[in-house]
Formats: sequence, C-alpha cells, structure tokens
Amino acid sequence: MATDTDSEAVSPDVTQFSTDTSSREDVLLWVDDHLRWLMTLPAVLILFSLTFYPLLRALQFSTLSYLPTGTVYVGIENYVGLLSDGAFINSLVVTAKFVGIAVGVEFVLGFAMALVLNKKIKIRGLWQTLILIPMILSPTVIGLIWRLMYAPNGLLDFIAAPLTGGANVGWISETSVALYSVILTDIWQWTPFVVLVLFAGLQSVPDDVSEAAIMDGASRRQRFMHITMPYLKSLIVLILIIRLVDALRVFAKVFILTRGGPSDATNVISMEMYRTAFRFNNFGEASAMAVSLLVLVLILAMSFVNIANVEFGS
Amino acid sequence: MTTKQDTPVETMPYTEPSGLEKLHGRLTDLGLTKLGVYSALAVFLVWTLFPVYWLVTATLKTRETLLSFPPQWIPVDAQFGNFARLFAERPEFVTFITNSVIITVVTTIVATTIGAMAAYAFVTFDYPYNLDFHLPFYILSTRFMPPIVTIIPLFVIFRGFGLVNTLRGLILVYTMFNIPFAVWMMKGFFEEVPESLIESAMIDGHTHLGAFFKIVLPLVKPGLIASAIFTTIITWNELLFAVILAQSSEAITVPVGLASFVTKFSVQWINMSVAATIALAPVLVFAFMARQQLVRGFSMGAVGK
Repeated sequence: MATDTDSEAVSPDVTQFSTDTSSREDVLLWVDDHLRWLMTLPAVLILFSLTFYPLLRALQFSTLSYLPTGTVYVGIENYVGLLSDGAFINSLVVTAKFVGIAVGVEFVLGFAMALVLNKKIKIRGLWQTLILIPMILSPTVIGLIWRLMYAPNGLLDFIAAPLTGGANVGWISETSVALYSVILTDIWQWTPFVVLVLFAGLQSVPDDVSEAAIMDGASRRQRFMHITMPYLKSLIVLILIIRLVDALRVFAKVFILTRGGPSDATNVISMEMYRTAFRFNNFGEASAMAVSLLVLVLILAMSFVNIANVEFGS
Repeated sequence: MTTKQDTPVETMPYTEPSGLEKLHGRLTDLGLTKLGVYSALAVFLVWTLFPVYWLVTATLKTRETLLSFPPQWIPVDAQFGNFARLFAERPEFVTFITNSVIITVVTTIVATTIGAMAAYAFVTFDYPYNLDFHLPFYILSTRFMPPIVTIIPLFVIFRGFGLVNTLRGLILVYTMFNIPFAVWMMKGFFEEVPESLIESAMIDGHTHLGAFFKIVLPLVKPGLIASAIFTTIITWNELLFAVILAQSSEAITVPVGLASFVTKFSVQWINMSVAATIALAPVLVFAFMARQQLVRGFSMGAVGK
C-alpha cells in the first residue's frame, strides 16, 4: 500500500517550472490532492443513498400503518401483528424448507461431484465451461425452462410415467409436490457452483503433502480428514454463506413457476413481502417483514461464521 | 505453511488398507474408476445441459409437437417462422430488448468505472481511521443484504423523484447492485500493479488521476473486462427490481417481458420459448468469453485467480 502524501502528488514540473499556473492546472492539482476521496466518493455515495438510507426508511415505514387516508404511527404493532400472521409464519416455514433442502442437497451433491472429478481426467476446461451455464442464466429464464419441463403431459410427466402409470404429477400445481419442484430448479442451477469452487479448492491441495502422507501409510480417510479438509475449510464456509444468503432471497423462480401457490405451498418470504406491499399496499407490515428478514440474515451469517471458527478452530 | 500441514501426518499411526481401499486399488489397475469418473461426469453434464437444450429446441417446434406424448427429442420439420411470429404477435418485445440493452450498457460502464476507481483508491491510498480496510467491507456487506429489504423504501423514494418507470431509475439501482462486485474483483487486480510504475509516471509529468487512466487501467484490462461481463450478465438477468420499478412499457425489460408470457392460467409456450432463447443467447456468448473470471466472481474472489 503506497503512501501517497500530498507533496508526492504535486509533480515538480508543474509547481516549479510553469510560471503561468492556469486555472486548469489548479483544478488538476486540487483533484490530485483530494484523489483518495474523489475516487471513492461515487461508490460510497451511491451505496449509502441506495442501500443504507433506504434501510433506515424501511425501519421508519415498519412503524407506520398505511391507511387510505394517510399513515399513522403505530410503534411496534406491525411486528406484533407478524407473530400472529398465518401467511407470514407459513412463508418463514416454506423459506426454511427451501433454503435447508436446496443448500443441503447442492452442497452434498456438489462436494461428491468435485471429489469424483478430482482425478487426472481430460476435457477439464470443457466440463468446467459447460457447467457454468445454469449459473449465468437468468432465474426468469430458468423458471421458464422448468415451467416447460413441468408442463402437464410434458417431458417430466413422460419420464415419471412408469412410476405414476401415466397420470400427470402436477409438478407445480399439486400442493404436496410444488415446493420440491421449485427446490429442484435451484439445485439444478447452483450445484455446479459448489462443484467448481470445491474442485478448485481440491486442486490447490499440494500433491507432495498428499504423497508424503501416503508414504507414511495414511489411509484414504485419514488423508481426507487431515489434509484435504483443512485446505477446504474456508471455502466450505464461504460456499455455505453465499448459498444461504442467496437462497434466502429467492424470488424470480417462484414468481415464474408458481407465484407462491398452490395455496401458499411455495410462498417464500420475498413473495409474501411482494404481495403484502404491492398487491395489498400494506407497506408498513411488509417493511416489518423486511426488517425481520434482515435481522434473520445477519444472525444466520454471523452465527455461521462463529460456529465455523469454533468447529474447525481457525 | 508446509510444517503446519505435515504435523498431523507424522503423528498418524499406520493402518492396514481396508478392504474397500484394496478394491479401489484393483479397480484402478483395471482402469475402471476412470470409466466411473467419466460416466459420472456424463450423467452430470446431461442433467445440467439437457433442460437448456429442451428450451432451445422448443423454439423450432409447434405447440402440438412441443407437448406431444411421447416427447419429440429432436425437432423434425423445424419451424424457423416461430422467431418472426414472436415479433409479429408481440411487437413490444423489441422495446423490451432496446430497454434492456440501454440499461445494461450504461450500467456496465458506470458501475465498472466507479468500482474500479474506488478499488484503486483503497489499494493505493492511506485513509484515516483505517477506512481503507473498513469501507471495502462495508461495500461488500451490502451484497449480502436481501434486495427485497430495501425495495419498498426505494420504490417510495423513486416515486418521489419521478424515477419509477424510467430507464434512469433502473440504471441507478443496478449500478448500486453491481458496485460491490466491481470493487472486489478490481481490488485483486490493482494489488498486483507495482507502485513504482505510478511513481515514475508522475515523475514523467502525469497527474495521479492521469496516470490512473493512462497507465494503470490498461494494465488491469483483463479485470475490467471480467467485471464488465459480470455486471452485464447480472443486469441483463435481473427481475425483482424491474418488476417493481418498471411497470409501464417505456421501461419494461426483457425479464419482465418474459414473465408476461406466463400467467396463472395460460402459457404461450412457443412465444415464451423463443423469447427466453433470445434472452439467454447474449449471456451465453459473454460467459464463454469470461469463463475463468466468472468462477472468481461467483465465489467473491476466493477461487479462479
């Protein structure tokens, strides 16, 4: 990190040799003197005014009740109301199921696949490129792709026909199935992410350490637990945090596939917030949900980092 | 580094290879595990790629052959007219594409520039109160906030400024959205630029800002391209903000347009497939251009350098 003091920033040929310091040069000098603030100001300003300030406003909105005649201050009433709001509680349960199952399966499946692929096989560049595809697709497009697959008499009904005897499963219209169908699309999209990151991690485990361990007679399991795992620890924590936080905010897939239905079976928290705010114009209660969600995300992320530190002893 | 990893190995007692390991050894001798690896890879690739294939081939089918039972695996009698029909039946889709292109291009340029400037400053300068350490983390932390949390106040604020249903409004939001990525991507690249280079450029008569644009930026071109492509993909794909901040056609983007093909009661299957394929084509092209950097971006810079 360089220490650019002000004297360095003023280049000698400008200050000493130019006799007619025009205003343009003055401006340039002033800019250079304050460069560290000028260069960071746009980023900080935009992030402050479009994330931090709205956050404060969300806190304020959550204490208001929106009536046709205007707003009334109601204190913590919106939060108290949430506790007995069946739709909100249901959306928390649905979101917990979505996040738990999706992230869990993605991680286990992805880890297994990364271990399988961690051999000296060819076409490495090719498969790494190909499995990137789901990750870069818009969740909207993914929703449409799977809507097509889940269509009545569609491809998945055909594949499942031997099990169902030809009856349509109702992948996204049957209350008991719909959530798992939505979860499947998330697993489809994000398992490659776990594979790619853990594969890169596995590749960075130096061969000589592993070879030395084999010489010392360490078993496959011992090598995995004592050599591979310590190397992957921080990557695993990172993957789980990124996936956890992203899965909690799922919106587009649900919006395209089910709009939260049938009978709220896939009504994740973002969907419930969207409906409360923009269908029922209840900005106060929706803001209370928003603040609760943020607190939840913070607690989850922080406790996760703490647990990870204790468990693996960083 | 090495001693730390060596210790647990040295203290490990010798254990006989288990039956499973012996079996594994024999299988390896026969070349069977290699076959196993390739079969697992093949299954994984088919599972990952087939749904995309299914959408793209749907653009060449008719409504009847699309949902025929048994399915038509390879389209026969390809209906290339489907593409023309989308624009004939839904001419507004041209506006959606134009809107998305404008928003994506402007956002990419602005967010990458602002992000690169901030990243360079954090790497180069000293700040009071350790701000060069704390500010990047504040910037990164905004990436973890669920966007839905701020969307209600943003909607109210934007309504006050007349920014709802405008391209400007969405550009502003997406710039905010992408700055954390740009800062964290670029930081790693600037850290590799030697300080002496900037110093000598300034002795040569450049201002520091001039040296940044003329000397430093060309050096980190791979990073700039990577974060630009990343920003492009994220912006082009985004649905939530667009649904809420752009409800009238002058600012509707492609993802919102796509959503309109699907209602609770009916789906225009062929038009939907064509539109979705048009939406995913540019993303595929960009992704192949920056495949290495994408993994880095998705993992917040942890792997793929």
